[in-house]
Amino acid sequence: MEVTKKYWKGIEELNQTPEFKQLRDSEFPNQHAVEQFLVDDQLAESSSGRRDFLKFLGFSVAAATLAACEAPVTKVVPYVNKPEDVTPGVATWYASTYYDGLSYASILVKTREARPIFIKGNKDFGFTKGGTNPQIIASVLGLYDSERLNGVRAKGIDENISVDKADKAIVTALKAAKDIVVLSPTIISPSMNTAIAALEAAYAINGTSKVKRVQYDGISYGAIRKANEQNFGAAIIPSYDFSKAKTIVSVGADFLSTWLLSNEYAVQYGVNRVPGKGMSKHFQFESIMSITGSNADGRAQIKPSESANVLAYILKSIGGSTFVSSALSGESKKVADAAIAALKSSRNESLVVCGANNEAEQLLTNAINNQLKAYGTTIDLSNDVKLYQSNDKEASQLFDAIISGKGPDVLINLGANPVYTAANGEKLRKGLEGLTMYVSTARYADESSSVASYIIPDHHLLEGWNDFMPKAAHYAVAQPTIRTLGDTYAALESMLVWAGSAARNGKDSTVAYDAIKASASILGFPDFAMLTHNSCGAVNAPASAYTYKAVSSSATTKSGDWEVVFYQKTAIRDGAMSSNPWLQELPDPISKVTWDNYITMNPVQMEKMGFVTTYDQEHGLNMASVTVNGQKLTLPVYPQPGQAFNTVGIALGYGRGANGEAIGRGAYQTKEYGGYDLNEQGNRKAIGLNVFPFVSQVNALPAYSATAAIAKVDGEYLIAATQIHHTVMGRDSIVRETTLSTFLKGDKESFNPAHKLQRLNEHGHHEEAPLEEFDLWNAHPIEKVGHRWGMTIDLTSCIGCGSCLVACQAENNVPVVGKDEVRRGREMHWLRIDRYYASAEESSVGKKANKDDFSYSEAEIAAVNPAVVHMPLMCQHCNHAPCETVCPVAATTHSNEGLNQMTYNRCIGTRYCANNCPYKVRRFNWFNYPSYKKFTEVNPAQDDLGRMVLNPDVTVRTRGVMEKCSFCVQRIQSTKLTAKKEARPVIDGELATACSEACPTNAIVVGDWNDDRSAVKASSSDHRAYQALEEVGVKPNVWYKVKVRN
Amino acid sequence: MQKEAAIREPLILGNKTYHDVTEDVCRPIEGKAPKMWYILFAIALIVGLYGVGSILYLLGTGIGVWGLNKTIGWAWDITNFVWWVGIGHAGTLISAVLLLFRQKWRMAINRSAEAMTIFAVFMAGTFPLIHMGRLWVGYWVLPLPNHFGSLWVNFNSPLLWDVFAISTYLSVSLVFWYIGLIPDFATIRDRAKKPVAKRMYTILSFGWSGRAKHWTRFELVSLVLAGLATPLVFSVHSIVSFDFATSVIPGWHTTIFPPYFVAGAVFSGFAMVQTLLLVMRKAMNLEAYIHTKHVEYMNIVIMVTGSIVGTAYITELFISWYSGVEYEAYAFLNRATGPYWWAYWSMMTCNVISPQLMWIRKLRRSLLFTFFISIVVNIGMWFERYVIIVTSIHRDYIPAAWSMHYPSHIDIAVYIGTIGLFFVFFLLFARYFPVLALNEVKTILKGSGQSYKESPDYHKHH
Repeated sequence: MEVTKKYWKGIEELNQTPEFKQLRDSEFPNQHAVEQFLVDDQLAESSSGRRDFLKFLGFSVAAATLAACEAPVTKVVPYVNKPEDVTPGVATWYASTYYDGLSYASILVKTREARPIFIKGNKDFGFTKGGTNPQIIASVLGLYDSERLNGVRAKGIDENISVDKADKAIVTALKAAKDIVVLSPTIISPSMNTAIAALEAAYAINGTSKVKRVQYDGISYGAIRKANEQNFGAAIIPSYDFSKAKTIVSVGADFLSTWLLSNEYAVQYGVNRVPGKGMSKHFQFESIMSITGSNADGRAQIKPSESANVLAYILKSIGGSTFVSSALSGESKKVADAAIAALKSSRNESLVVCGANNEAEQLLTNAINNQLKAYGTTIDLSNDVKLYQSNDKEASQLFDAIISGKGPDVLINLGANPVYTAANGEKLRKGLEGLTMYVSTARYADESSSVASYIIPDHHLLEGWNDFMPKAAHYAVAQPTIRTLGDTYAALESMLVWAGSAARNGKDSTVAYDAIKASASILGFPDFAMLTHNSCGAVNAPASAYTYKAVSSSATTKSGDWEVVFYQKTAIRDGAMSSNPWLQELPDPISKVTWDNYITMNPVQMEKMGFVTTYDQEHGLNMASVTVNGQKLTLPVYPQPGQAFNTVGIALGYGRGANGEAIGRGAYQTKEYGGYDLNEQGNRKAIGLNVFPFVSQVNALPAYSATAAIAKVDGEYLIAATQIHHTVMGRDSIVRETTLSTFLKGDKESFNPAHKLQRLNEHGHHEEAPLEEFDLWNAHPIEKVGHRWGMTIDLTSCIGCGSCLVACQAENNVPVVGKDEVRRGREMHWLRIDRYYASAEESSVGKKANKDDFSYSEAEIAAVNPAVVHMPLMCQHCNHAPCETVCPVAATTHSNEGLNQMTYNRCIGTRYCANNCPYKVRRFNWFNYPSYKKFTEVNPAQDDLGRMVLNPDVTVRTRGVMEKCSFCVQRIQSTKLTAKKEARPVIDGELATACSEACPTNAIVVGDWNDDRSAVKASSSDHRAYQALEEVGVKPNVWYKVKVRN
Repeated sequence: MQKEAAIREPLILGNKTYHDVTEDVCRPIEGKAPKMWYILFAIALIVGLYGVGSILYLLGTGIGVWGLNKTIGWAWDITNFVWWVGIGHAGTLISAVLLLFRQKWRMAINRSAEAMTIFAVFMAGTFPLIHMGRLWVGYWVLPLPNHFGSLWVNFNSPLLWDVFAISTYLSVSLVFWYIGLIPDFATIRDRAKKPVAKRMYTILSFGWSGRAKHWTRFELVSLVLAGLATPLVFSVHSIVSFDFATSVIPGWHTTIFPPYFVAGAVFSGFAMVQTLLLVMRKAMNLEAYIHTKHVEYMNIVIMVTGSIVGTAYITELFISWYSGVEYEAYAFLNRATGPYWWAYWSMMTCNVISPQLMWIRKLRRSLLFTFFISIVVNIGMWFERYVIIVTSIHRDYIPAAWSMHYPSHIDIAVYIGTIGLFFVFFLLFARYFPVLALNEVKTILKGSGQSYKESPDYHKHH
């Protein structure tokens, strides 16, 4: 056995001297030091002295102060029983379907910890093929609007009442009623139709039902149905297939953004917009500058009253006989001739569409398509669209009856909002107030339902079961992605309850589920689980043969000296989602204006009339009044290049909630230092002006254009635009544009020349050398080392719709800052879409017409009918990032995967990085957006309910720090993690950023640039790829691709 | 003692004795302050406090209370910073560089010029601090050992160089100034009667006894510090200019910046000295010590540096065109003809044309005209920085991001507030500190005093 060695600290320890012992024993003194400090020896005998008193006082004050410093309370509630499919930190996706009366899409809903936070298109199932639009993506925020009704309301009572009480009153009234009307927006739900049928059966006298149905939409496409009824004998809207069209002619139809199933069409359109032999040709005739028009290869400015002439001219030229004047002149004739030539060569692979809600013009359109033999190729009559069934005639009869006090005994409104969208809405509201029993299932106490006797609010789209038949051969279901937040009831259930065929069962009710399952089973989907998994499936449409019968009509749009067009904006459309701050702050893809509607007019004409044509944060726009049918409105006049002369455009969908209705938190004007701006009545001021009252009925159809009178009015109005300079100033390294014929020749130098710089060679002579040979720094080892994330953005396919922008905002918790801050140039969007007009000095956007005689002041002014380029711009993740070198605290750094990273916690906010960014894509937190009072009303993050939409994978930024696009680094990390767990490399296509995923035309490709087989590598290596501002030498990881016009 | 050619104008006018010098400098400190001083002090204090209040509001609310936006990340904040740093250049130049060049005329003005320098650098230092989004973590710019892992500052960043440059400059200037003050404080201490004042000046005079040994050391330290401070005069503004010169922004990315900024700084600094001294010599009866000759000398400096600045402007303009770089050329075209043309032409008028008037002897010897031009120059120099900063970034590479800058009232309040605070400091200085380096002035009394120069024995030795 070994002996443990013993070491001594010194000779004293060995000898155990008394001094050592004393020292050792007193190492831990026995006396209590604290007591010694606090009290003296005579404490027991004496009262505390002055010094002690101060000591105690000091201690207690310090202790009390410390105790009062309360840490912020964070609410964490653990699960009692862990729900299935919910793993904290792991997203669960549900396949579902979106339908709001205007847009329809098959979608995927991302939920985190059981809350839906993100919507994207379903690329695998459904005819929309992943196509969405900004409204669909932003709709998830509407789920968390704290002004959405969370219980049953009765007229005159300020609090929620029980649903049974309401049901009893409603059923009593239904039984007693002589006539019942079910007013609804277009219903495409087979189950709801069954339920209405059940109601009809339940309330009948002598076999005749007391129930009458009226379908009414805010936006009517009645003319298409009427024209088809005349030509084909069926009031249908056919399916269009833009992907089969080699020539597309649109007369006033904004089919990429607001016309019919535009999100479906955008995807189809993208298929043929790939530069190459098969690239489609697109001609647009329109009055306003629409998104669709901005993408056209040929665009002519026409007045709304001229659309019939354009159509007639085309019809006549391709051999049809026309029934209206085909006189055409000038620019429109030139574009029309080009269109005719293209149509003649593509024949049945052509598609002509018309946006006017005018029967005669739709008849002409049908005649052209028939002449081209497009029916059967690009137009499918048999698989007709079931949306947009608004019966405007019946609806206006109903409204007239209600106004005159002869309304039905019971009116059930399944979510239509005619008080807002009908021309005589104000009168209608008074009429509705006079009804004895008016029941609404609206989600908000909006214009129409705030006067209802009872509101039994429907679930949000993401909360309940629904089914849809958007087309004759397609059936889809929507499944709930969250348990209902409030005390809401599916409209389907309510109808069945009132029909007496179901009973309520609170939140656990399966009434709607059972009804939809039954419908599905009837339609041939016995496996309901599979149906919900796919979200949709094909059904057999009733076979029908349509034969074309020529019909003529001369009731075309009336002309006037000035004509006004009432159009829809991508973000707001009919106004149903105007309380959504993401959409209000989405810059209009053309005007770049947020939070307002306005009068658009051509700047050339504005200048003649004395209006200002430039604006910035402190200089507003002039006002004008527009008089239509004796009614007058006053709005600011926005200079819109490309607008047809003597026409103005005004967007629908604004001015909601103007009478104090609670239509949502984000729907009102706010003040400079926070709080809602109130009018004299104490009501919150609406955003913009409602122009639906100006939409008059022509031939029993709402006409979205009219003759008008314009006059300048005193006043200046500050407008919040995200872009105040509109041309690219002849700079050729930002956007590049070429024609298809040039591109097809294959000479890269002619359309995408490489940058060269001059240098001195060894003989002292000037020589040109490629950009790569000039570098200030040693290159990072990026090639073939791990991942290197890259992106390409195709300017040819990008249509500028804005979906990517909203998706980015939703994914990355980008704050909403409100109108006043956007006006000051402080919107926070990580991704913006720059829109450039060509000027008269440029032969195409970015190309100087004459290099030696280029006027910069002229180049600032957009051409009268300019070519347009949309350029999505986000952080370019430069490999030689200028932002990284200038940060004094290294808060922004480069990752070894090529990302430019922003470390919020390290940022001290000098803004040097933003100044030094050539792309100006960095965004600074000027205020504390999640708490500062100015943003309480607009920023969802400031609302207890609203902040549930925040993506838990992304930090909410505090004030004083810089932020910017991260390439959705949270998605990159999770993609890598998944691959790692499965012990495989990341597969190309596995990673999608929010923007690339949302793009309906696949203009954005992301991936690993170091993977030789990746799509992004191939895309960035082709002839069209270039880097924006390449000559600055920052070596971005984003490539753009030259825009090719056919 | 040094003799000077009789033909040279005397630097001290009138029949001054050593005692007179002491009396003249100490009188304002020992006597009661005039009413005017109180009025000016009250105004400066109110303006200064308004500025402080605005700064507190800024810190409490966020940088958004200024007129900045996504495109223009710096405007008045950094304009004011560079402007104040520039002004803070004259003092050290006068006391250090002119000391090395043995320019005796500096003695009348170096004390107040240095005081001005220090107060200007205080004001300048405020702006980089308050322009930070998160001031409370601003200490991260210092390379301190920390517990955040191994986080260190970024030595590539010109902003970090600024931190070192400004803090070094401030500390050296402060020490230099204080060393110079010691003998003068001792003089006041020796004369002080009130116990509080006596005690204060005793502490301030650092045990000065006036022994020969002290004087030798004093001279030596002054020389060493002058040697140290001289490169700083050139380095500070060169480094400040790197903030812009090392960037990639057209209009900022310019190699001419360091000398151009230094010349501009001296230019504006001398103008500020003129503004202050022309008032002070009257208010404090120092006409005998600071007079036309001093003003003329300074005007010559203004003229020379103004010409350098003007040359730089025109060189910049020429090179932007000659380079053939699209963005560079446009940046300068935009300066001259874009939305901020008025700022550019104000700058050109104030900084290029006005100093050229100093070629005329009558004008450069006119005190009233000098006072006017000194203010014009500082307006021009403020515009120069505004033009460089704002007109370069408001329209840089991507036209869709182009923007305009409009100052908010907080922008203006903070700027005006620093001017108020500056005067608060300066007025306190004028009241309690010897505004003239009295002991130094005494050294030139017999060489350059008017009475001595004009006395018949002055030329005997020559």
